[in-house]
Amino acid sequence: MARARTTADAFNAIAEPHRREILTLLKGRERVVSDIADAMGMNQPAVSKHLRVLREVGLVRVHPEGKQRRYGLDARGLEPVHGWTGGFEEYWSESLERLNTYVKKRQREEER
Amino acid sequence: MTPDTALSDRELMVSRLIEGPRDVVFEAFTEVQHLSRWWGPDGFTTTTRTFEFSEGGVWEFTMHGPDGTDYPNWIQWMEIRPPDVIVLRHGEGPDDPEQFSSTFIFEERTDGTRVTLRSEFKTKALRDRAAEEYGAIEGANQTLDSLATYLTGR
Repeated sequence: MARARTTADAFNAIAEPHRREILTLLKGRERVVSDIADAMGMNQPAVSKHLRVLREVGLVRVHPEGKQRRYGLDARGLEPVHGWTGGFEEYWSESLERLNTYVKKRQREEER
Repeated sequence: MTPDTALSDRELMVSRLIEGPRDVVFEAFTEVQHLSRWWGPDGFTTTTRTFEFSEGGVWEFTMHGPDGTDYPNWIQWMEIRPPDVIVLRHGEGPDDPEQFSSTFIFEERTDGTRVTLRSEFKTKALRDRAAEEYGAIEGANQTLDSLATYLTGR
């Protein structure tokens, strides 16, 4: 089975260790990209790419400040991760995963 | 309501990118022959007694868990706006005092359709219980949970 996209949900986004490290860096304070890049020993384009994924799934927020953009944690995006120990979150994550499989299958059938 | 409106303490939300055009994804919510193929977690099946997809219409069905447990379900569609929004009431029956409201939002993306579900419960206590027990499925991932706890300092 093909792997889910990194932007599919918070779980896929934080499967990547650098992105978890960025979240840890943003804990407690906002930072600009160059600051994060320095802290991680990575170049800025690579960090920006990770930040884009984290924003897409709602784990990181951006605040423009003059010419700079400050990044901070967005706790909203972590709700699914909190809830995942069963219950509602798992129910719906699995349902939507099945929906995805079903929709892809229907499209393949139409192409035939 | 948009997917970005802040969550209240009576709400739960899940969001997922579905790899297909919005009309196809929306259609999967409109007929039993589609719904029965994906609604419910892994290993669950559904038996439908009544189904009428219209505002005020009802879907009555039983969900069969992988362990043989049956769960009565009752859904009434409150608002249907193809292909953007579906709002429904969900409970065990029409008189279930613990019914909750669910809003599905469908957004077109370049690589598919983002489906966001927001459910609003009558009280925070009901919301908290649903977060842990909804569907009565056992599941745990301590690594992710402790990561989340660590990151948010909860």
